[in-house]
Amino acid sequence: MSVAGAVAGAVQILGGVLLAPLIPGLIQQLKARLQGRPGPSPLQPYRELRRLWHKSGVAPFPRTVIYELAPPVVVASSLVALVMLPIGGRSPGWPVGHDALVLVGLLALARFAITLAAWDTGGGFGLMGASRELTFGVPVEAVLLMVLAVVVLPAGSTSLIALSDAAARPQVWGEPAHWAALLAFVLVMLAETGRQPIDNPDTHLELTMVHEGPLLEYAGRELAYLQWAAAARHWIMLVLATELFVPQPEPFMARLAVLVVSLPVWCGLLAVVETTQAKMRVLRVPLFLGAGGLVCLLGLASWFAGGGS
Amino acid sequence: MSTPHSASGHMPGAAEITAVPAGAWRQACLDANARGERFGGLFARRSASGPAQLRAVFSTPGSERLITCDATERTVETIVDTIPAAGWDEREAHDLHGINFTGHEPLRPLLDHHAPLAAWTVPTVGDDVHQVAVGPIHAGVIESGHFRFHVVGELILHLDVRLFYKRRGLETAATGRSLGEGIAYAQRACAACAVTNTVAYAQACEAALGLEPDDHLRRARTVLLELERVYNHLNDISAICAGVGFAAGVMAYAALKERAQRLNERLAWHRFLFDTVAVGRSAISLDSREAADARRELAAIRREHEAVWRQLGFVTSLQQRLEGVAALSAADAERFGAVGPAARASGLPHDHRLHSPRLHYGGFTAAVSDVASGDVAARTNQRALELRQSLELLDELLTRPLEHGTVRRRGGETRTAVGRVESPRGVTVCVIEREGDRLGALHLRTGSYANWPVLAHTVVGELMPDFPLINKSFELCYACTDR
Repeated sequence: MSVAGAVAGAVQILGGVLLAPLIPGLIQQLKARLQGRPGPSPLQPYRELRRLWHKSGVAPFPRTVIYELAPPVVVASSLVALVMLPIGGRSPGWPVGHDALVLVGLLALARFAITLAAWDTGGGFGLMGASRELTFGVPVEAVLLMVLAVVVLPAGSTSLIALSDAAARPQVWGEPAHWAALLAFVLVMLAETGRQPIDNPDTHLELTMVHEGPLLEYAGRELAYLQWAAAARHWIMLVLATELFVPQPEPFMARLAVLVVSLPVWCGLLAVVETTQAKMRVLRVPLFLGAGGLVCLLGLASWFAGGGS
Repeated sequence: MSTPHSASGHMPGAAEITAVPAGAWRQACLDANARGERFGGLFARRSASGPAQLRAVFSTPGSERLITCDATERTVETIVDTIPAAGWDEREAHDLHGINFTGHEPLRPLLDHHAPLAAWTVPTVGDDVHQVAVGPIHAGVIESGHFRFHVVGELILHLDVRLFYKRRGLETAATGRSLGEGIAYAQRACAACAVTNTVAYAQACEAALGLEPDDHLRRARTVLLELERVYNHLNDISAICAGVGFAAGVMAYAALKERAQRLNERLAWHRFLFDTVAVGRSAISLDSREAADARRELAAIRREHEAVWRQLGFVTSLQQRLEGVAALSAADAERFGAVGPAARASGLPHDHRLHSPRLHYGGFTAAVSDVASGDVAARTNQRALELRQSLELLDELLTRPLEHGTVRRRGGETRTAVGRVESPRGVTVCVIEREGDRLGALHLRTGSYANWPVLAHTVVGELMPDFPLINKSFELCYACTDR
């Protein structure tokens, strides 16, 4: 294993596991500043996790193994997704591979596990959130696949490493298709991270919840796992956004520097969107995401019309 | 200033009593309704000896009528078929005093929380219809209320509201107290409506005692009422922004509300303006320096509000959430007895400030928007309109120092009187019956009480995740009903 691969592996694990909660924390802090509040420290998610870790759990009754399996399934799929991500186009070569379609599947698996748990316990708010999560899940996954369909064209492979390397080259920005994919990916990123205008991670209004709804039934360490997984999902989407859509010069250390700079910038983007946009009406969300799909189609059309590069 | 005596020779607020036998109850109420008198509440009171007594309040701008009857057989005919606004009142009278309203079927329990689910909810059946229960404990720091939604998917088919979790029996507790002491009970009904409730109570007492406020007292009370409206409306606009997760609007208006409440504290030593109203006098006085100070702060609040409001108009994502949601037609608003900004947003020109000779509202015109579409957007805009109006009114009222007012004797004493004041949520009706210098009965029907059933009607056909927003566009008190 090369030095670069080892560093990339360390970032995958340490970054994905330990630094991920800093991302929602940073977004919170930036949002508060934009709204004229001092806001909580960016470390607040860590405090939340520590608090939950030391609390005793309360589980609803009746429940089955489906409820109990959801947190481990979500955590496991997040962990596998973390090591699939290229860091600066490198990875130490874990045995799980780097297929982008597998990553989409892992995200879907986590979503499926948590929504199934909502049906298991049958809580009203959980079910509402779960049904919305699944309703949005269809366009989210479709658009994400379409984004991949666009970005695999210059790479000629669905390996995330190949995709990252193709995107790192400046000539890809001459393709309108790449711009279209970027736009659609931002919409997917908003949905996957559960941010406004699609979901509101800060709300206490149960009737409006999407991702938070099924989490209401969990407490203590189970909730800590799920909250960490939500943070890890932020990490996954933001790293993916950087790897696929930020021009990165070689060598590896330069690409790593680009990643370090890009993550807070993406956080800032999410904070600005969340501050300036109200949450959209729930039935408009699929249309909104569908627009992303349409943009991808235009991108594909432009690629094939132009003959590709 | 308007004349202190109404055309009939009564004090404004002194009620004309129409006593009827139980058999003629319905007809008497329907007659009053047919004459164009607006329903203002129905309640029962215990009598020391004999059967429970029923009261219904009807009013025209210049007069108050109390229809009374002894419910000897504990049964009268309902009026709810003609006056749907009386629905909750009849259910409450049934739960508290066992009075049956024939024709009001099923007479579902309202205050009686021991009733099984099937008894107090409307059966809603069909494929995929299910119930979603919300509350009485909520995630936010709010009062207790249970909402039972009957839904298909995200669509609301029906809503049953169960409130009264913290009912304190204030009206019964106040009975037997002196008129002066009674005001504390009216005040404790609700903090956010404390001034409205106490002014309504004080007006009722003064009308019953044949007293009339002098100009200082009118001005002092009008200033207090408008200060209350300002901080409530600021709070409500903030809450509407919270309903769609638009944090920038939430924060801007929460900050303005805080400024308004700090001003309250400076002027009246209380953020909710408690203990500023008393029977026959006012506890607030401002010298010219204090009044000028208050005007400056109110002008600053107004500038800030105008600036933020203009910005909100450009936030498309916010405006799209408000437009066309939960529209209340003018006909329904009238039929269900909607009051306050909610009624005016549907185009009804009801504002009791127009008919308040006991307050200082000379030349007042009700703010009605050109686009009275009755939806959430209209209710939000209505508050902004009224906010500007209230701030202008305060600016004018505070050009002179505010003195402790007093009352003058102008008419004879009566046993029963009605105080009626426009609160930030709609007209509040306070009925008192006097026994000597003691309270024989007290009844407080606030704007929130009138509008809760209207809210339940308005959400039908809307989406579940829009409910918090719709709820906030009415922003009704729970405490006002938990009196």
